[in-house]
Amino acid sequence: MRINNSYFTRRKFLNSILGGWLGAVVVSFISPIVKFVWPPYKEPDEVKLALADYSSMPPGEVKNFPWGAKPGLLKKAADGTFIAWVGVCTHLDCNVSWVPEKKQFYCACHVGWYDENGTNIIGPPPKPLRRLEASVEGEDLFVRKPGAGAKA
Amino acid sequence: MKIDVKTFVAWFKDRLALTPILKYMTKKEVPQHEHSFWYYTGSSILLFLFIQIITGIMLAFYYRPTLEGANASIARIMTELPLGWLVRSIHSWSATFMIAIVMVHMLAIMFTKSYRKPREVTWMTGMMLLVVSMVFGFTGYLLPWDDLSLSATKVGTNIPMAIPVVGKWVTQFLRGGDDVTGDTLTRFFLFHVCILPLVIFAILIVHILLVQKEGMSVPLKDEIAKKKVPALPFWPNFVLREVIIWLVLLGTVLTVSLAFAPSLGPSADLMAPAPEGVKPEWYFLFLFQTLKIFPANMGPVTGEFVAVVLIMIGIMAVFFLPFLDNKPETKKGKLVTYLCILGVIYAIVFSIWSLQ
Repeated sequence: MRINNSYFTRRKFLNSILGGWLGAVVVSFISPIVKFVWPPYKEPDEVKLALADYSSMPPGEVKNFPWGAKPGLLKKAADGTFIAWVGVCTHLDCNVSWVPEKKQFYCACHVGWYDENGTNIIGPPPKPLRRLEASVEGEDLFVRKPGAGAKA
Repeated sequence: MKIDVKTFVAWFKDRLALTPILKYMTKKEVPQHEHSFWYYTGSSILLFLFIQIITGIMLAFYYRPTLEGANASIARIMTELPLGWLVRSIHSWSATFMIAIVMVHMLAIMFTKSYRKPREVTWMTGMMLLVVSMVFGFTGYLLPWDDLSLSATKVGTNIPMAIPVVGKWVTQFLRGGDDVTGDTLTRFFLFHVCILPLVIFAILIVHILLVQKEGMSVPLKDEIAKKKVPALPFWPNFVLREVIIWLVLLGTVLTVSLAFAPSLGPSADLMAPAPEGVKPEWYFLFLFQTLKIFPANMGPVTGEFVAVVLIMIGIMAVFFLPFLDNKPETKKGKLVTYLCILGVIYAIVFSIWSLQ
């Protein structure tokens, strides 16, 4: 049925109203679903470690620490300061290990090597290991993402 | 009213409208020629899918998809439950057999050019089934949660990162975050036992209906000669031949499962360095090796990106094969045959190379 001078039939008008309403409902459900399914877990901005666990390390030694759900690597430099990296390979995310005899970091997945400064030297890694900032504050050792800064 | 078996069956047939289906089954014919052996690969895949469902449900009765419980629950299945080690072994081996026969099925169709008009969509749904089967394998590989499976999953879920813009989202979706954690394990279990089964059944139904709709493809030379090929009744002649093959395959998978049960490494430690010898399931080895040979950086982009793009182009080319090779069904396709042979050689050589 079509009212005089109308562009639409009544059927078309009702179909569009109901269809549009149904479409809008579906669209409004998408955002909460996506938010739920996509990650609740993010990498930490900083972790706090007990300085006592690491202060006795001789210079040049490397120890692991938990950086969220993956390992971090903490090295004591010759001047006694700490240098930290995220302990995963920049190639495909495998956990790397410190090889003390060679003074290099090693990734077993695709045989990637980094030197003691975390620079990629052999194999497929495209970038150096990701650097983190380590700072001693009282009895605590803070490791932070670069630029995250100290908490006020 | 007298109720006997005959009236009950007749009632059942009538109410469920089974008569046309049964009539179709008894009338269906399978062409007989020198390549008809490959017809049996389809039903063999269904046999292994059936074994996967049965053994998979059995394992799920005791498996725990959590960081603390996963590895221990598989150890329990293998050591405490009656024949649990065999159930896991069959599930693992049957997956291997299934993927292998899917590949044979696919190659047979490539070489006989059966993907051509009017079977383009049958081919594409088949390719989707192959991809879903491989994702089944990939998600199942993590579930034992030992050090090898953790590292393989870290690598596998990191690969989408090479794709600009959407890559990071895909990785986060797969992992349930920036890193592989206990959430990843739960997620993979859910994909493996809930989402993928729904997906595979949806595609499988379309695939099988399309095979019925278009009928079996016959060899090119008979097509050219417009020869009427001799045919075998589907029921019972063809089905009985299928049963023989099923029994042989079932015996083979049982024997292999008894002799070579899969091992279980120590529970994965998220903080531990990657172990030596990380490798994926055998059907991913050639892709794994392809990723490995690319240099770290190629000009402005990473080698990984180039490798991923090339692999995607390869997959797309195979997926859209019926449109790339859209010659009439009576024309030979030598180029496709040669490219297929080249592809098989590449996959075999790279797989062996990756094990060196």
